[in-house]
Amino acid sequence: MLRSGPLGELSTRAARLVEQHAFDPLVSIRSLTVRFGLFSGTKLPGSWPRCIVLSMHVLEAVDLHKTYGDGAGGVQALAGVSLTLSAGELVAVVGPSGCGKSTLLHLCGAMDRPTSGRVHVGGVTLADLDDEALTQLRRERVGFVFQFFNLLPTLTLQENIELPLLLAGVEATESERRARASAERVGIEHRRDHHPGAVSGGELQRAAVARALVHEPALVIADEPTGNLDSENGRLVLTLLTELTRQTGVAMLLATHDQAIAAAADRVVRMRDGLEARDTDVTIFGAVAPSS
Amino acid sequence: MILFRRFIGRALWRDPVRTAVTVAGLTLGVAVVLAIRLANTGSVRGFERALELVAGRTSLELVGAGVGVAEPALAELGWLREHGRVSPVIDRTALVLTPDGTEWPVRVLGVDILRDQPFRDYRLLQITEDNLDDVRPQDFLELLVDPGSLILTEQFASRHGLTLGGPARLVVGDVVHEMSVRGLLRDEGPARVVDGQLALVDIATAQWLFARIGWVDRVELQLFEPEAIDEIEAKVSARLPEGVQVQRPAQRGRQVEKMLAAFHFNLNALSYIALIVGVFLVYNTVAVSVIARRREIGTLRALGATRGRVLRLFLGEAAALALVGAGLGAPLGWLLAQGAVRLTSTTVNTLYVTSAATVPSLGLADLLLALGVTVPLALLAAAQPAAEAAAVPPIDAVRQIDPSAQARRASRRPQVVAAVAFAVAAWCSTRPPVDGLPLFGLAAALAVVLGAAMLVPALLSWLQRVGRAPLARWLGVEGLLAHANLSAAVSRLAVSVAALVVSLAMLAAIAIMIGSFRETVAYWVGQTLQADLFVAVGDRAPVGAPLTISADTEAQLASHPQVRAIDPFRNVDLPYGPDGDLIILGAGDFQVLLDYGGLLFKAPADARTAMRAAVDADAVVVSEVFANKHGVSAGEWISLDTPGGRRSFKVAAVYYDYSSDRGLVVMDRRTFTRHYGALRPTGMTLYLDPDADPDGVRDELLAAAGPDTRLFIQTNATLRQEVLRIFDATFAITYALEAIAIVVAIMGVAATLLTLVLERRHELAMLRLVGAGRRQIRRMVIIEATLLGALSQGLGLVVGFVLSLILIYVINVQSFGWTIQFHLPVGFLAQSTLLVAATTGLAGLYPAAVAMRTSGGDRER
Repeated sequence: MLRSGPLGELSTRAARLVEQHAFDPLVSIRSLTVRFGLFSGTKLPGSWPRCIVLSMHVLEAVDLHKTYGDGAGGVQALAGVSLTLSAGELVAVVGPSGCGKSTLLHLCGAMDRPTSGRVHVGGVTLADLDDEALTQLRRERVGFVFQFFNLLPTLTLQENIELPLLLAGVEATESERRARASAERVGIEHRRDHHPGAVSGGELQRAAVARALVHEPALVIADEPTGNLDSENGRLVLTLLTELTRQTGVAMLLATHDQAIAAAADRVVRMRDGLEARDTDVTIFGAVAPSS
Repeated sequence: MILFRRFIGRALWRDPVRTAVTVAGLTLGVAVVLAIRLANTGSVRGFERALELVAGRTSLELVGAGVGVAEPALAELGWLREHGRVSPVIDRTALVLTPDGTEWPVRVLGVDILRDQPFRDYRLLQITEDNLDDVRPQDFLELLVDPGSLILTEQFASRHGLTLGGPARLVVGDVVHEMSVRGLLRDEGPARVVDGQLALVDIATAQWLFARIGWVDRVELQLFEPEAIDEIEAKVSARLPEGVQVQRPAQRGRQVEKMLAAFHFNLNALSYIALIVGVFLVYNTVAVSVIARRREIGTLRALGATRGRVLRLFLGEAAALALVGAGLGAPLGWLLAQGAVRLTSTTVNTLYVTSAATVPSLGLADLLLALGVTVPLALLAAAQPAAEAAAVPPIDAVRQIDPSAQARRASRRPQVVAAVAFAVAAWCSTRPPVDGLPLFGLAAALAVVLGAAMLVPALLSWLQRVGRAPLARWLGVEGLLAHANLSAAVSRLAVSVAALVVSLAMLAAIAIMIGSFRETVAYWVGQTLQADLFVAVGDRAPVGAPLTISADTEAQLASHPQVRAIDPFRNVDLPYGPDGDLIILGAGDFQVLLDYGGLLFKAPADARTAMRAAVDADAVVVSEVFANKHGVSAGEWISLDTPGGRRSFKVAAVYYDYSSDRGLVVMDRRTFTRHYGALRPTGMTLYLDPDADPDGVRDELLAAAGPDTRLFIQTNATLRQEVLRIFDATFAITYALEAIAIVVAIMGVAATLLTLVLERRHELAMLRLVGAGRRQIRRMVIIEATLLGALSQGLGLVVGFVLSLILIYVINVQSFGWTIQFHLPVGFLAQSTLLVAATTGLAGLYPAAVAMRTSGGDRER
């Protein structure tokens, strides 16, 4: 039924996505429309109704507040932040240490719950989900890249990359194949059998990027992905992230101190000491070429 | 499974020392539990096996009241032939002197061969020098008509160089009989009893050998219709004359099993201490793993692992450790059982039964038991840390984690649990035993142990608060650093220290209990053993037919000019009460006891007067154990089976006795003879003239008895030493079990320290950078280890004191029924305190060496 009408005109990739997710209980018709948003950052057919694309956000955060601790001793980390993110879009959150960047990312990545405000990922309201459903959402819709890589030391890089697939119950040979492909994509195929303790920081973060994308999430949360790397490796990882965002159409929310990284983003959200955010969605929009 | 292998399996592999220690702890725990179980089973099975072999096809047996069945009663039992074949039996123990100069106990079976043949599968291998197969009963009869005939097993004869037709010297009591070997039995049926240590004689010969003319030990009945045994047993029971009971042969095995139940139960309970310590180590491993891998768990959760999955991963870790521990522990347990049998058989043979205990082979049931106990216990132990892991939020993947803050958060709850546990312990201590077993007492001990474990975090927090200044002052910068390190790791250390506290508390409690018991026994021996010389025949044979002193010997002893008085005593085993518990019925000369002896009476106040009234009267004195077990007090009446039927006896007095936990009922010798017949005494106490030299008299008596005498004469001093030697042998296994538990616990502390050292390697490297020498690093780690040992011992002593009160006033009274006077073995406790501090310090050497190595060459990022 969904294939009729304008959907029938979609590219092969979009059709496959519809096929994959039409009967996924988590993916409502709304989130299907979000998937169409994949094309908002790439070349859209001229005839594509813009109104559909514009209304389809992978991530929608509304008036987020987060306070750690209770009463007078409580620390307010976020004081009313709103944010939207569409498919194929790379949004950088910048600001000094302690301004709430990471908190915002954690709330958007369903790793934590806000004190007030709402987060929708793929059209699903996170507040409506119990822990089990949130876990499933993270497993299927979200990928994470952490500042300290967070690769499990007992697993090889290949096994670390496989992890989201294994957790999702993908068969071992299939997950191995996809993880290998993912490792090749980020250029660490020669390090696949190494443990995290035996490779460089840049390679670790590449593996982390591969892990974040291996299960084809809609949203990737990258918290200071270059913060623990030297400038050369930082640049390489940044390039990788921007390229992959373009190629896969994933929506990427990235926190950073680095103005150069911010410059590579589609949009920049600047956060200040007062923990308020101003969505500067007019800046640098569409200015970045994918593989420049 | 893939995730489990990668996330848990590899982590265990990468921390080999901790994993090995945990597995070793569990292995030892399982091994000890299984070893004690196998040894216990072995000691009962040894007896039961012999019983089965000798019983053959016997369906029912008629027994008299402790002393067998009188022949006149047999004449009235002709009607038994309506139900089956009947065979009277004498079943005794004697020694065979072999040509090589050694002596071996043999079971002597005196049977009426014509009647007995269908009962047992014995077949003669040889009957004369000529090999004759298929010997007819008549040949057997001819052979046995000669009162000097003896048939041995082929196995025994060939092993000891005894030949067919050759002489054999049979020692019965203190008399040596010259016999000749007239036949050899094939290695089948009863001949297989205890390595072939069986001798067959005609029943008349047996009666003569064992001074049992006019009596048989039991009458066996082989039913024509074995399937109707219940009905026939009831019929026979109804028609039997007074003083004769019918029972199944297995009943004797059950009696022995029941008699050993309390002893075995306590050993079993004790064996579980090592397993509990092992399980503590599982908790420790999983808890440390959860704390140390919190960020990884957070990452897993962020990547989509559900709480249930995380829970299963860590429960799986505990189960895997338990499986390996049980798998290794089972065969080790079998090996340990061999040693345990040697240790416990001293006790069993000294105090309970003579049997050849052999360790049964390891069966599927034992393996299942090992798994069935270990895996659930390990899962239970891991439940809390696994639940904690499952509760780790995904945000912990990126959050800065402060373990000491977690410890502070959780610091109140254990104290509440401790308070509840102590309250439960107090309540359980007041509950009566269940089916004769101190289940509530053990529950009280367990609750105290749990409460103590829960106090450990508070103890470590106390060290954190008050330890800094004194440690810095006394031990310098290393003391200060050790304090800082321990303070930062309270939550990780709590469990391994708790395991050590529990083991040390048990050691202290057991030491106090045994010390108190020993003092009590020493005092009792001092008061009770007043005679100058004690005469017995051969080794003690506590159950079954005892070895007796012949009339000639008695006359010879009495004729010594310096012997003032003789108290010949005789013990028989008598089933008592509704459950047929085997008690000891003793006969002594009350008048001599009153004039010379020193029984310690518990009740009534004028016990000596009451005992005087019991001379030659239907009255008895009973041991405290008997009074407690059967709820009897002085002045009441008890019923005892006698060959003449059930008779009532007044309990004249209750006296303290620690020689047996079966309970003793003692009557005046004249009363005994009136009811049970004249039995030769099994021992004698001799009271000498005041100026006599006991050693001199002893030597004279032995010289008069001749070089081949079987008499054992001990002076008062040597017997007291012997009593305490037996006491110490009895508790040897207790200390062995406890030592294993402590070794496991100390290994746990060392493993925890090692983990801490490995986790702190950056910090240690930093210390080296700012100028700390290798020796200072080593000293710091050793101070940490010693501090933990000393703290554990401190709390262990306090908890041990409380536990010892439960052991002495609840568990012992309920298990064995005797009063123990409390006594604190200060010397032992002081020594053990120093030893534990030193041992834990030594256990810190390896982590210290690793610390020195690590801090010297840290190349890790």
